[in-house]
Amino acid sequence: MLGSVDFDENEVVVADFEAGVGTLTRLGEEHVDTVVIVVEATPKSLEVGARAAALAAERTVGRVVVVANRIRHNEDLETVKAAFPGLEVFGVPHDPKIIEADRKGIAPIDLDPDAPAVAALIGLASTLYPSSN
Amino acid sequence: MKLAVVGKGGSGKTTTSSVIARTLARQGMPVVALDCDSNPNLGISLGVGDEETERLVSMRQALDEGEESHAPTWDTLLSRYGSDGPDGVRLAVVSRIDNPEPG
Amino acid sequence: MRLAFVGKGGAGKSAISGTFARILAREGHKVLAIDSDPLPGLAYSLGLAIDHSPPIPDDAVVERKEGEEGPRWRLNPEVDPFEAVEKWSVEAPDGVRFLQFGKIKGDQNLWRSQIAFRFVINKLPEGRWNVVGDLPGGTRQAFTGWGSWAHTVLIVVEPTAKSLLSGRRLARMADLDPENPKRVMAVASKVREPDDVEMIAKGTGLEVIASVPWDEELAEAERRQLAPIDFAPDAPAVRAVESLVERLSELRVS
Repeated sequence: MLGSVDFDENEVVVADFEAGVGTLTRLGEEHVDTVVIVVEATPKSLEVGARAAALAAERTVGRVVVVANRIRHNEDLETVKAAFPGLEVFGVPHDPKIIEADRKGIAPIDLDPDAPAVAALIGLASTLYPSSN
Repeated sequence: MKLAVVGKGGSGKTTTSSVIARTLARQGMPVVALDCDSNPNLGISLGVGDEETERLVSMRQALDEGEESHAPTWDTLLSRYGSDGPDGVRLAVVSRIDNPEPG
Repeated sequence: MRLAFVGKGGAGKSAISGTFARILAREGHKVLAIDSDPLPGLAYSLGLAIDHSPPIPDDAVVERKEGEEGPRWRLNPEVDPFEAVEKWSVEAPDGVRFLQFGKIKGDQNLWRSQIAFRFVINKLPEGRWNVVGDLPGGTRQAFTGWGSWAHTVLIVVEPTAKSLLSGRRLARMADLDPENPKRVMAVASKVREPDDVEMIAKGTGLEVIASVPWDEELAEAERRQLAPIDFAPDAPAVRAVESLVERLSELRVS
């Protein structure tokens, strides 16, 4: 699907993929440069993430980053790191501002770009495609 | 660059996708955001609002139901069935037909 | 009662429906809990320690022969839905029977097992069990063909704009089959603010039949892969599901 489109070279395509098994298999067929796997420190979330990581490993994917979301304690981050040995794990803290943005239906980056979780994600984004010098 | 954000529903992937898309757009890159979820709502996290997100989803659904044999090309998808979001991010909702389940 | 819980991922369907099934069973009803999600979830909320139910065997489904008419796949005529449930379901605490189609392990292709599962559920005659389950994904198909077993649909909605959007979509789709009209209501989940319920009612256009509060103990039960009703029987969220069971009985929901 993504491979069949003529996107500009400069264009950045951010595809938000559902986590169903069918779509994960589909992901395996895609030509992607970077896979960001978003998980929480809960068994179900980690299991889905692990399947995605396995698929990404099977394919030539440039970079795989795991986002450990809604981190409350350091233990949560450690749990995620242990589940994805050898992969970059990026922690995003539990953040009431995200809850507020969700409730109001506005973009978290518009509600408060300095909120802890938003700032963390902005930081992650900046490493995904560093601006040219 | 093609970037896929994946994860279990409810884990925060849509929020993650939206901040990544908006941030890269603010850094001056042309960004296309594709919502490939069967419960599409990336538009809300991107900041286009729930009415516009709903409109895009309904349009996509109507397209699927009415014209299955005439799936639009991607250029059409983005230009006619996509939406311009904040920071110049272009959003399109990808249908399940483009995303068939295997088997 | 034949009740399907649906909703956007992460809304709390497994925790709520699993707890619901256990409470209903404790009141003396025969309950069959079904799970069509290829990822485990309901099993843990019911109190099943591991996912040990065998997938429904491939030969439960037969292919149309050359020259035969009708759909390509159908349930093997030798398979009786009652017996299928007895044979392939697992017993969970409080006597709840639990049936799922095989969980995907690695690359194992279980789609025949999935089709068989759907046939068994949809051909199960009424009367023996109360069926509590889910409907897969958020698609139309889920409500028409596959969802014909359900009489009542409870849409689990969180107080977020995204969840309301999904809720509205699901509400529209839930009532699409004129031959199998369903009663559709909402269950508010992860409620924090006093006006969340009203927001959900207005945002979905549905009657909100129960309000399940945001509950740290429910989240903890999930982390430990334990049933909320076992881990925290007095938790506010569990109490809320008890109220839901009572309310549905009062309303004589089928």
